[in-house]
This record gives sequence, C-alpha cells and structure tokens, in this order.
Amino acid sequence: MVVECRNVSRTYDDDTVPVHALQGVDFQLGAGEWVSLAGPSGSGKSTLLHVIGGLDQPTDGSVVVDGVEVTTLTAAELSDLRLNKIGFVFQAYNLIPVLSALENVEFILQLQGVDRAERRSRSQQALQSMGIADLENRRPGEMSGGQQQRVAIARAIVTEPVLLLADEPSANLDTSTTRELLEVLQSLNRERGVTILTATHDPMVMGYTTRQVNLRDGSVV
Amino acid sequence: MPARLLLQLSWRNIWRHRRRNAILLCAIAVAVAGVMLLNTMMRGMQEDMMNTAIGNLTGHAKILEPSYLDDPGIERGFAVDDGWQDDLPNNVLGWASRIRIPAVVMSERETRGIQLVGVDPAKESISFLGDAEVEGERLSGPDDARILVGALLAEALDTATGRRLVLVTQGADGRTREAGFRIAGVYRAEIAGLERAFLFTGLSALQRLLDTDKVTEISIRIDGEDLDTSTIEGLAGRFENLAVVSWRQLERQAAAMVEVSGVSIYILFVIVMGALVFGLVNTLVTAVMERLRELGMLRAIGMRPRAVVAQVVVESSAIMAIGVAAGLALARAVFAFVADGIDLTAFDDSLASFGMRPTFVPVFDIRDAVLIAVLSLALSVLASFYPARRAVKIKPLEALRR
Repeated sequence: MVVECRNVSRTYDDDTVPVHALQGVDFQLGAGEWVSLAGPSGSGKSTLLHVIGGLDQPTDGSVVVDGVEVTTLTAAELSDLRLNKIGFVFQAYNLIPVLSALENVEFILQLQGVDRAERRSRSQQALQSMGIADLENRRPGEMSGGQQQRVAIARAIVTEPVLLLADEPSANLDTSTTRELLEVLQSLNRERGVTILTATHDPMVMGYTTRQVNLRDGSVV
Repeated sequence: MPARLLLQLSWRNIWRHRRRNAILLCAIAVAVAGVMLLNTMMRGMQEDMMNTAIGNLTGHAKILEPSYLDDPGIERGFAVDDGWQDDLPNNVLGWASRIRIPAVVMSERETRGIQLVGVDPAKESISFLGDAEVEGERLSGPDDARILVGALLAEALDTATGRRLVLVTQGADGRTREAGFRIAGVYRAEIAGLERAFLFTGLSALQRLLDTDKVTEISIRIDGEDLDTSTIEGLAGRFENLAVVSWRQLERQAAAMVEVSGVSIYILFVIVMGALVFGLVNTLVTAVMERLRELGMLRAIGMRPRAVVAQVVVESSAIMAIGVAAGLALARAVFAFVADGIDLTAFDDSLASFGMRPTFVPVFDIRDAVLIAVLSLALSVLASFYPARRAVKIKPLEALRR
C-alpha cells in the first residue's frame, strides 16, 4: 500500500463550535492507482489529502505513506517526506513567480541536492512529457493557467515521487484545458505507474480516475 | 538548501519589488555614508588632538624624575649617560633631551611667567618646533645662547627679533639666576597656546646658566600610537629611579577626548543603524507577509523551515550588503573632496582650546569601513530573524489558504 489511513479524525477548534472535518476515516491507496476523493464542499476531501501529504496533522488516527507513519514526524521530517516521496499539484498552481518554468521544475531537484547536469536533463524531460518544452524560459506570469498547471505537474513528477497529490487541479481551468491535463495525468498513471490521489468535485476528473472514494461530513460513504 | 539556490532566489526577489527596495537601498546607503563621513571627521579630530598633544614637546613618552610633574624644576633633573639610546626599538623616530623649567621673562614693558626650554635644535624634529615657521633666525645649536620667542608672547611683551629679554629662573643650587638673552627669532605655532607658553634657548647654554649638566626630560617619538609595554620596561631599566610616562598620562585631557571621540563613533553608529534596522524590519515584514502563500508553498513542496529562514536572512543581508557597499562608495567619493583638509581658521581660538589645528583634515580609516560593513550585516541578520520567524511560524497549509 502506498497510503494507509486508519480511523483518521480531524477536528478544528477555530470557533466556539468544533468542526469535525474528518471522522474516523479508513482509506487505502494501492500502488499504481488513481483515486479521486469526491464529495461536496466541506465533505473533508481536501483535509484528507492534506493529512496524507503531511500538511495537516490529524487529531486522531494513523496515516502511513510508503511505510512511514506521518503523524509522528517533526516539521523538518515532514518536509523531507514531501520532498522525496510526494508530489503536489495545487489548485492555484503555486509556482515561484521569479523563476522560469525550467527553474521551477529544477528547484525541487536543487532542494534534493541533485547535480546540475542531471537536474537540467530531468527537468527538460519532465517539461517535454508535459508538452511544454518550448516554454522552459517563460516565467509563470507569461503563461496561461493550463500551461502553469502543466509546469506544476512537471515539478511534482520530476522527483519520481511514490505519490502524486492533486487538490482540485481543474478548478481554474476551462473544459478543453482540463481534458488535456487529465490526459497527461492518465498517461502518467498508465504508462509510468504513478500513484495519484485527487480531491475534486469535478465529474470530468472523476471520469478519468480508476476508483472513486466519496466523502460526506468527514466520513467515507 | 544549496547556497547557490538561496542566492539565486534572493537576488530575483530583490528585483521583484524594485521601487521599494531601491528606496530602502537609498536609505541604507545614505545612512552608511553619513555614519562613515562622520567617522572620518571624528577620526580626523581624534588624530589632530593626539598629534597636537604628542607634538607639543610631549612625544609619545617621556623619561623624567617621578616628582618632576608635581614640582617642575632643575633640582629634579637627571644626568644622561652616553649610549643610553643604543638598542632603541626600530619604531623610535627620534628623541630629544631638554631642560624645561618655569621662568619669568621681562621686556622693557611687560613681565610674563613662561616655560623656559633648553633644546638641541637638531633633535627637535620630533616636536612642533621642528616645523614651526620662524621670523628671524632659528637656534643654531645647543650652545646658542639666544632665544626663540612665540609670536603671541612677543606681542604681549611688545618686543621683536634682535631685541633683548631678561629671564629669571632658579639654578641647580637653588639660587636665582637672571640673565639677558637676545631674540634670535619669533616662531609661529598652529596652536596659539604654545606661542604664549614656551620660550626656547640652547640646551648647553641653559645648562651653563643653571650651573648643571643635567636635563629634566627625554622625549621620545615613535611610529605608532603608543609605546608597547616591553619598550617602556626596557627604557625604565636604563634609568634608575626615573619614570617612563606615556603621552596619555602627560596629556590626560587630550587622551580622554581621544577616548571619548572613539566611543562616540560607535554610539553614533548604533543610533543611526539602529533606526535604520527598524525600517529594514518593516520592509522585510511587509515582503514576507506578501509572500506568505509562496513561502507556504515552498514548505509544502519540501523546503525545510530553516531553509525558509535562511532565504529571508540571505535576502535582507543581500539588500544590506548592496546598501552598505553603495554607502561606503558614496562616503569615499565625498571624502575625496575634503581629503586635503577643511579650513576652519574662523574658529581658530575655539579649536585651540580643544587642542585642534585650524585646518581640519578628516581621516578615512579603512578599518572603520570594514567595521561598519560587518556590524551592518550582523544587524541585518539579527533584524531579519523576526520576519523570518513569522514566515515559518505559520503552517504551510495556513499560508497556502491565504
């Protein structure tokens, strides 16, 4: 199993009334799967994605990613886990605005300490696999939303992570760009065996995934 | 996180907010230039006070009889054996033995109390007398029984070159000596007080008048600021029962002012740069808050918290380093215009009371520039920790949600 969640709960105490974002969730994700977490807004799909990615800590339960218990890790250890095992694709792309497309992809390899020649070659290959090799010198502000999301995916896969997490990846894209993006993810999943977990309420995204897990009020239904 | 990556990101981020950072850079550069220029003034003042104190017959150190300072007179003189000066350290520029005793000088019209100084003119290149402008003739040697009078004293006595003055002082036997001396020349000194205080004659001639073969002091001038302890101990060992006294002990007021101005430099620096640091912190906090989402994303994709701190610190240090370099360059450029000296003749009397010359020469000390650069960078590193801490205190997810 790439991901194994047991009895995971997450409660927010932001206001006077506690909000139970996740309630005793059990969830497993096998290698090579592409699963979509589906459900209406507030169902807990993004929270579960963030808990699995180590961006949020569960109030209770156990989360194991590639054999590592995530809930006991320190902030620095979580950073290393995200750097080496998980690739993130965010709704808002979240590229570094002062770096070019190639530099954005290279950045994560630099964090890993990969030498210059290798990271340059791997980054160019990643951009090529996303079909945007010709945009390598453009900065995020000079690219469309779809192009930026492709760069974000290239950045997420360039480290060859065991798990790719995508939070509402199509939220800011039009239909044709979304389709192109989903085909890219599908080819990554099918041809390269990348395990993908997507949080979405977009039916088109759900249509591409191999399995769908529905959440409602913080529980798997 | 590799240093190269840190520098690359920081450099790009600096260019991201050009106008804001340009204003900040200007503020740093102007503050640094201001502090450095004030430093050159203070260092110039310090050096002037020190040179004046050392040059007014004091030297860097004096060998004298311990009680001479409390009660100067020829009875507290000492004999100088030949060869005492052998094996002096290489940094000794020169030395001069003298008799310096209180005396009364009388002209036909006026009487004044003065310091009568017997000198070997050839040795006085170490004191102001060596460079002093003389109207008339200089003393020809230690046997010259004529006198050199300061211009202001000559004016007070209503006398001039070629005329005679009567000097009254006490001889080695304790009895009064009185003799007439012809004025060889009238000297001018940069410090007005010297012209009023000192009257010079040949050392041997004065010894004959006082009926002694002793001197009251040996003044030593070195290349440097202070005699080191081993030199002082070595000199003290050659003269039994005599003291070796540094210029700081002989000219306590000047030494204290030199010390105070040295400390003032640092106080001024801390005040100006301290104020500037608040501006830097404010700018950095703004920059960090604006980029909170981006910093959260960096952490989300695997950047360690300490790398985020390092990025903010490197960024602020880079701004400070550029600002400091520009400021020091500006200070050097402005300094070039005043390096030859600033004419303060209009304030001559006031300056003289501080032991300063009427032409004020600023001193650009490279050690001060280095110190300012190092302290500024240290301050910027300290200042950037607050915004950096704010950046990592917020969890990546919270930052991404903003």
